[in-house]
Amino acid sequence: MAKPPRIWVSNAKPARGEIVRVRAQIEHQMESGLRSDEAGRLRPRNIVRKFEARLGQNLLFTWEPGISIAQNPYIEFTFAARESGELVMVWSDEKDPPLEARKTITLS
Amino acid sequence: MKRRDFVTGSVALGGALVLPGGPARAAPANPLAPTNPAEFKRAMGEFVGTARLLESGLRMELPVLADNPGAVPVHVWVTLPISDSHYCKELIVLAELNPSPLACRFSFSPAAGTAEAAVRLRLSQSQTIHALARMSDGKVLVARQAITVAASGCGM
Repeated sequence: MAKPPRIWVSNAKPARGEIVRVRAQIEHQMESGLRSDEAGRLRPRNIVRKFEARLGQNLLFTWEPGISIAQNPYIEFTFAARESGELVMVWSDEKDPPLEARKTITLS
Repeated sequence: MKRRDFVTGSVALGGALVLPGGPARAAPANPLAPTNPAEFKRAMGEFVGTARLLESGLRMELPVLADNPGAVPVHVWVTLPISDSHYCKELIVLAELNPSPLACRFSFSPAAGTAEAAVRLRLSQSQTIHALARMSDGKVLVARQAITVAASGCGM
């Protein structure tokens, strides 16, 4: 989880109530725990278990991926812009410290 | 050899070559693509409970043919109006014949004001994708679509 997340926001200065669309992707192996290495041992599972999106203090939603989610997990979501604040997205996997991305949303 | 004999002969030979593969391929047990029907039933039952499934209000978009089964785009959204008192609490995506059928779970808060998400799945074989959404009033919405997968994506 070295590289920073890639973020796209449809409008960082939305009108009040406008629907804002966000696309986010990180680089992650999403090791399912079903694959084996050269010696035939199963590789330990390491997937992104939780993704959280907050706007300011408000939690927008959480996403709990399973092993059926593709590697380099991509998530696209929408929210209604009700207040200015920082859009904070956090990815937590089973091994490394969480990865975070921030984007300031200002109501126009 | 008469032409007619040759033609009928080759048809019979062709049939003999094709037929043995047919029933064998229909056998469901595929060691490369293990399924987990018990887990699918459990996840579905746990989410739905005793609610009646409503076929409207939830839309799902995904390709009919997954040309890259390692990353199949799936887009789900609730089409019902969303407000602070009536919103989508939880949404799950199930891949019926994957080794782990519960692909992912979303938990929305009313602050989102919408219930929409797009992710990418990896699929082990051709199957039906189910999306289920539970609204704050207890209604459970469902959307389903069959998808054809050429090669397995779960080894990726």
